[in-house]
Amino acid sequence: MTRSDLVALLPLIIIAYSAVILIVVMPFIYVRRSINRAERKWSYRLTVITLLGALCSVFAAARYTPKQVTPLIRIDGYSLFFSGLIIAGALLVTLISHDYLNIKLVDSKEESRFTSVQKSPTYAFPFYLLLLLTTLGMATAAASSHFVSFFLAYELISISLVGLIGYMREYKRSYEAAIKYLILSATASAFLVLGMAFIYFELGTMEFSRLTAFLELGKFSEIIYFGIALLLVGFGYKLALVPFHTWSPDVYQGAPAPVTAIIASGSKVAIFALLLRLVSTSNLKSDELLYTLLYILAVATMFGGNFLALMQDNIKRLLAYSSIAHIGYLLIPLAAGGKSGAESITFYLVSYLVTTVAAFGVVSAVSLAKQIGEIEKIDDYRGLAMSRPVIAAVLSTALLSLLGMPLTSGFFGKFYIFSAAAQSGLWSLLIVGLVNSGISAFYYLRVIFAVYSRPPANSDSIFKTDADQLPTTPPTSAICMAISTATIVFFGIYPTPLLTLARVATAYLGVR
Amino acid sequence: MSIALWTVIIVPFVSAFVLLVIGAYMPKKAAGAIGCVSVGISWVAAMFVASDFLREMPPDGFRTTLYTWMDVGGLNPGIAVRLDALSLVMISVITFVGFLIHIYASQSMYDEDGYSRFFGYMNLFVGSMLTLVLADNLLLLYLGWEGVGLCSYLLIGFWYKDATNGRAAQKAFIVTRVGDTALAIALFWLFVSFGTLDIKTILSAAPAKLVAGSAAATLLACLIIGGAVGKSAQIPLQTWLPDAMAGPTPVSALIHAATMVTAGVYLIARLHTLFTLAPPAMFAVAVIGTLTLFYSGFSALVQRDIKRVLAYSTISQIGYMFLALGVGAWTAAIFHFFTHAFFKALLFLSAGVAIDAQHHEHDIFKMGGLKRALPIAYWTFLIGAASLSALPLVTAGFYSKDSIIWGAYSSPLGAPWLWVLALISTFITAVYSFRVVYLVFHGEQKMEVSKHPGVLMNLVLVVLAFFSITAGFIGMPESIFKFDPLVRFLKTAFNTIPAYQNHANHAAEVMLLTISSALGLLGIFTAFSYYRHNRFAWIVDRSPFAKAIHSFFFSGWGFDWLYDLLFVRPYKTFAYWNRSDAIDNVFTGLASLARIGNSIFSSLQTGRIRNYAASLILGAAIFTTIVILRTKL
Amino acid sequence: MKLTWLILIPTIGGILAWIAGKRNTLACRWIALAAALADFALALSLLAQLDVSAISGKPFVQHRVPWVSALGINYFVATDGLGLLLILLSTSIGIAAVVASWREITDHVAEFHLAIMVLLSAIIGTFTAYNLVLFYFFWELMLVPMYFLIAVWGHENRRYAAIKFVLFTFIGSLFMLAGILGIHFVHAGTSGIYTFDLPDLQGTIMPAATAMWLMLGFFIGFAVKIPAFPLHTWLPDAHTEAPTAGSLHLAALLLKTGAYGLLRFAIPLFPTASLQISPLAMALGVVGVIYGAILSFAQQDLKRMVAYTSVSHMGFVILGIYAGTELALQGAIIAIICHAFATGALFLIVGMIQERTHTRDIAHLGGLWATAPKIGGFTLFFAMAALSLPGLGNFIGEFLILLGTFQVSRTAAVIASIGLVVSAIYGLRLIQASVLGPNVKNWTLSDLNARETAVLGAFAAILLWIGLHPQPIIETARTSLIQIRQDFIATSAPLNSDSGRINSTILPLNKFESRKNTGRSTND
Repeated sequence: MTRSDLVALLPLIIIAYSAVILIVVMPFIYVRRSINRAERKWSYRLTVITLLGALCSVFAAARYTPKQVTPLIRIDGYSLFFSGLIIAGALLVTLISHDYLNIKLVDSKEESRFTSVQKSPTYAFPFYLLLLLTTLGMATAAASSHFVSFFLAYELISISLVGLIGYMREYKRSYEAAIKYLILSATASAFLVLGMAFIYFELGTMEFSRLTAFLELGKFSEIIYFGIALLLVGFGYKLALVPFHTWSPDVYQGAPAPVTAIIASGSKVAIFALLLRLVSTSNLKSDELLYTLLYILAVATMFGGNFLALMQDNIKRLLAYSSIAHIGYLLIPLAAGGKSGAESITFYLVSYLVTTVAAFGVVSAVSLAKQIGEIEKIDDYRGLAMSRPVIAAVLSTALLSLLGMPLTSGFFGKFYIFSAAAQSGLWSLLIVGLVNSGISAFYYLRVIFAVYSRPPANSDSIFKTDADQLPTTPPTSAICMAISTATIVFFGIYPTPLLTLARVATAYLGVR
Repeated sequence: MSIALWTVIIVPFVSAFVLLVIGAYMPKKAAGAIGCVSVGISWVAAMFVASDFLREMPPDGFRTTLYTWMDVGGLNPGIAVRLDALSLVMISVITFVGFLIHIYASQSMYDEDGYSRFFGYMNLFVGSMLTLVLADNLLLLYLGWEGVGLCSYLLIGFWYKDATNGRAAQKAFIVTRVGDTALAIALFWLFVSFGTLDIKTILSAAPAKLVAGSAAATLLACLIIGGAVGKSAQIPLQTWLPDAMAGPTPVSALIHAATMVTAGVYLIARLHTLFTLAPPAMFAVAVIGTLTLFYSGFSALVQRDIKRVLAYSTISQIGYMFLALGVGAWTAAIFHFFTHAFFKALLFLSAGVAIDAQHHEHDIFKMGGLKRALPIAYWTFLIGAASLSALPLVTAGFYSKDSIIWGAYSSPLGAPWLWVLALISTFITAVYSFRVVYLVFHGEQKMEVSKHPGVLMNLVLVVLAFFSITAGFIGMPESIFKFDPLVRFLKTAFNTIPAYQNHANHAAEVMLLTISSALGLLGIFTAFSYYRHNRFAWIVDRSPFAKAIHSFFFSGWGFDWLYDLLFVRPYKTFAYWNRSDAIDNVFTGLASLARIGNSIFSSLQTGRIRNYAASLILGAAIFTTIVILRTKL
Repeated sequence: MKLTWLILIPTIGGILAWIAGKRNTLACRWIALAAALADFALALSLLAQLDVSAISGKPFVQHRVPWVSALGINYFVATDGLGLLLILLSTSIGIAAVVASWREITDHVAEFHLAIMVLLSAIIGTFTAYNLVLFYFFWELMLVPMYFLIAVWGHENRRYAAIKFVLFTFIGSLFMLAGILGIHFVHAGTSGIYTFDLPDLQGTIMPAATAMWLMLGFFIGFAVKIPAFPLHTWLPDAHTEAPTAGSLHLAALLLKTGAYGLLRFAIPLFPTASLQISPLAMALGVVGVIYGAILSFAQQDLKRMVAYTSVSHMGFVILGIYAGTELALQGAIIAIICHAFATGALFLIVGMIQERTHTRDIAHLGGLWATAPKIGGFTLFFAMAALSLPGLGNFIGEFLILLGTFQVSRTAAVIASIGLVVSAIYGLRLIQASVLGPNVKNWTLSDLNARETAVLGAFAAILLWIGLHPQPIIETARTSLIQIRQDFIATSAPLNSDSGRINSTILPLNKFESRKNTGRSTND
């Protein structure tokens, strides 16, 4: 373990250590109402500092790339790019979480989600702890070059996410979601491990490089096929590809908004980055079996996600479905492969992550504003534009970006992945993608319409009138939303820097 | 000369613009003055133009261009006018009669509101009509053509608060629009085959480009006929004119008697070369004319509304003109237009006096005995009726009508049944005109006279009466007294006159004259003898057959009913049935497909872990199965 | 650079108006109006640069800088006579839109003006973009403000209408996106140059089948916007529910972007394929003409009635574009412009009537002439324009279209001529239903005020001017249209024997034949 290795691993190390610090120090802060607040404050600050540090260390590490640290971890431009992205995402989420954890949770108007005011969790540090751990897992996943590290990362993400999802433990649905996620991810991991076993059986090694080399040459044995198919199940679960998607709406809905943001953004990005690293060099569309599998997955996922979202009236579930659909779009360039395929995926993942964070940021911010638990019903968003024009603008920017409208990064994201598909002549997939993004317009616009329509005068709607004064959005959430929105718009107008970055990063994949 | 000529056209347009834009803000007197004076100016200008033209007598007319309308893809019509004998006669009549009617209207319409609007429309009409007859290219002619149609629509519906007037106006516009569309298609065709819309060029090039009697020539001519019958209310597009009487009386006099309805006659005369190249079309014109004059004669015979009687008689008189055109007697047609303009305008205006005098009562059976109360109206109406029923020697109608009958008799294009029917309808004409005279002015007075005509109105009546008598003397047949300057002058406008034995056979001509005069007189006598005790009505009451015939004629031979059945109702039915656009169902269908997809997928979201695990494992199973199947593992 | 300002000024003005509107709505209106006027002035200054005697339809002003060079996307704006005409149209309509909503829009005034100004920018961008992706960018950008215009300031059924509008046009344009990507990579495949610039992509050599597919992508995108016959059903709803200014923008400009797209992209990029589908396209046009007219006649809602007339009129435009003769193309341009003013004015009038009576149901209207003669007069005038009365611009447009079509296909021309009759039927019903007849509800309305009179008067004057002296417009569009026709001719010469396309040319063809035939010969 040389010094350069340490520097290269610095991002991961920083996160890991501060996690330890959190768990060691915080419990000894004696809990009284007054001091409890201190505990929150400090664990929050520590987390933020940690993530900032990690983010900076990414640039430090960049000097030693590419670097194979042990067979398990490969630090190169690609992994660092995604580690940076994930850490940044985690940072944004942390900003939301701080406010979210201070939320005075009271009984919401329709079903009693939170039993009473006091029941909001006593300690905050476990939340941040788990947050850091899952971030660590994601970063590792992006950097892993070996099935063992991959599996470690995979499980690290899953387990810590279970904790996060169920964090509001008095909240029945949150609890239920956690259980679902735990059991199902265990099932998925089983398939994953089996798949790895098959591949090991065939190749005698668990290093990606060998597998990719194999795929590259197009020399497939039945066993490898089998292994890959099972791996796909594991990926499919985490990425919520149809038919492995069923968990996601319930979990998205049950989990606290910031956690949902992580699940939707960070975890998926990390896993997809890993998937891309695995297959990018191999020419999938030339091998009709794998292509068939991907094709089925892609079509099913796109249609499934969009159809499910069509009539959805709960914004968190709707976003869950839309994220399913978006990963579906990403399977098109994955199948297309080639340089442009990889670059477009990278670009799209960035845009997707930022957009998702912005959307959930709004959800949590709105919930904060009203202190009556999470506001999920789309109809409850009616009149938001009158009382909170800025938040409404952020939300609609995010949704328009998901829809792929101009002036948002989503526009170029969609354009690029479709262009990648066109370049390698996957016209049928391209058409399916186009039709689907057409369909998706329907539900995004429904939300925007709700946001900009007057609230029903008679009913006890949440945002009644323009005069309705709300507590101002907490600064940290505001910062989070501001940053993400700015990013969306900037890359919507001038995407060149990000494209260049993506080109540099994907260059390390050695795609030809 | 060109300045004068442009004055003729532009002054009415300008005054129309002024009246329509700021007319509402000016006193009635001023509005009326502007309306009349502008037309007066354009009449004076027309007279100057006429004198110049007669002095110089340019061989192929006088042409002047204001500017090039457009120049695109070989189409370069100008805003340009061409003056020749034909158009000179037309503009003289239009401006002069128009001027008189304006003066009449300035008094008779004085109590109406929308007075300035009325004169605005009237001037707009005069302007468009002059454009129509002076245009040197068919596109400009079409502009005037549609323009007069617009004014006709506006003036029929002048009393817009009554929905029935609105319906009549719409009917007039749409029915004529059908004809106009045929004309438009003819224009496209002409342009494609001649590469221009300039009338002169087309006429001179026609013999070379169109094979005489070829299907193309015939079809083309028929399209033009379509336009003509629309405007001139000939079968089969005649149905709008009787309803058009919903407009004010001066409107009926100017537009629906003297000028606009003869536009069709003008059009065919103007494009006569094309028709000489298409004998079947010529014959069609003659047949249309004859049938129409016969048809409308009988309809006029039984109408109760005095204005409808006159409307049908207009239709029938234009039928005469069409007959003349059909047999190639161009000059005769225009000559009849010339005389008809005077006596028909006169009839309408004096009828208008009678109507005003009887509380706007139109039913001739409710009027009566106005002879003493309204002497001038009576005598002028009498003169008009006499001229209409071609009273021998002393009336204008006599000469013009007989020149037509003579044409039909002597022309190689004519046929015996044509002129026989024409002769018979002279009798019918006489009957229905004097039926009106008797019922309205003779007998006992049924209601007191509410309103006496103003001095200007009477003046106009007298002037028109004078012309209704004398206008014919400039077109005397040879056999009586060889003096026909008008006909000679008109001949210069027509380069192809079908060679028919020019007045060779005096005996025959005299014979025809006597027969028609006899029939006319007989008709007058019949009218008086029957309507003294209204025997006609008596007969009708007696026999159901006669009653049926009567109502058949009364309804204009059921054309309205037929068209309603064939076109109006199906169109409305389809339109209303499809009001909410059947095409949209396709897309709503797609939407519901998406909804079905939604319900299928969301049925999987049960919220139970076991189902979720099941779907996860099912997916895995499917994958592995695929692998196994594909790789024969 | 001028063009860039042309695009930016409305947005900047809109933003300023938005800021000002927070405090003072009147200031907001004035700022927006000033911006629109400034833009119009700028467009006029461009007109001075146009050389009508030039023989090639190349853009006379252009601005090109790399934008997303990684994907071969340049910021490339340019314009020629055709584009300039539409820019002038857009800016003038932009002014009218601000003025028209002076009194109608009372809530969220600031946001409203931001929306209409951004929309104007997007439209002008669409008319100036010479890079396919830039074009697509603006094309999609139009949807956003329009969606908000309908969704926020619309009438009763606005949610349905707004979403329907976006779904139709968005899905349609996604097909266009496929076409754009397709030609991009086909061109790259043959020439090795990755570009989206229109001039480079012109004359790309590709197999006929490919060309047909890609062209269909473009065609669908544009056909939805125009809208062509079977794809028109979004239009009545959108028009009916939109606020007056929205309807004005829709009718006067958005529909035109579709026609413009056909002329600028679909035909020049795929001349052969366009020629092959021209019979179908003309058929669609003809059907649209008659179908739209019949449906317009049947409507009970005054605004819906006017909306369907657009379907009819744009049918004429499609017919003219695909007839492809010089007369027909010139006619299409004039029809586009005049439809903008005539139908736009009718929408304004309906808006004014609704603002006064709070109803659009013709059962409750009628007889307004007595109480508001100005409304009556203008309704009459513009309805007459809509039924293409000679002397008004629409007549020139439709006459030229029919004339030009007759040179190519007599059947199409004759059937389309029926449109003259059916248009009369709905036109007269429109008049009768609104201003004539008995005043059943005894309305007593305030007649048009000076501002409204000014706008409608200006529109009327323009229509009259075009009707009596269309030459300037013809001159301005001529060179661009010749360019387009050359594409048609160059391909049609070997394909079809119809003389109509050839005979009415102004220019010696050989100049262009040589250029075109090099690349084109392979497709036939």
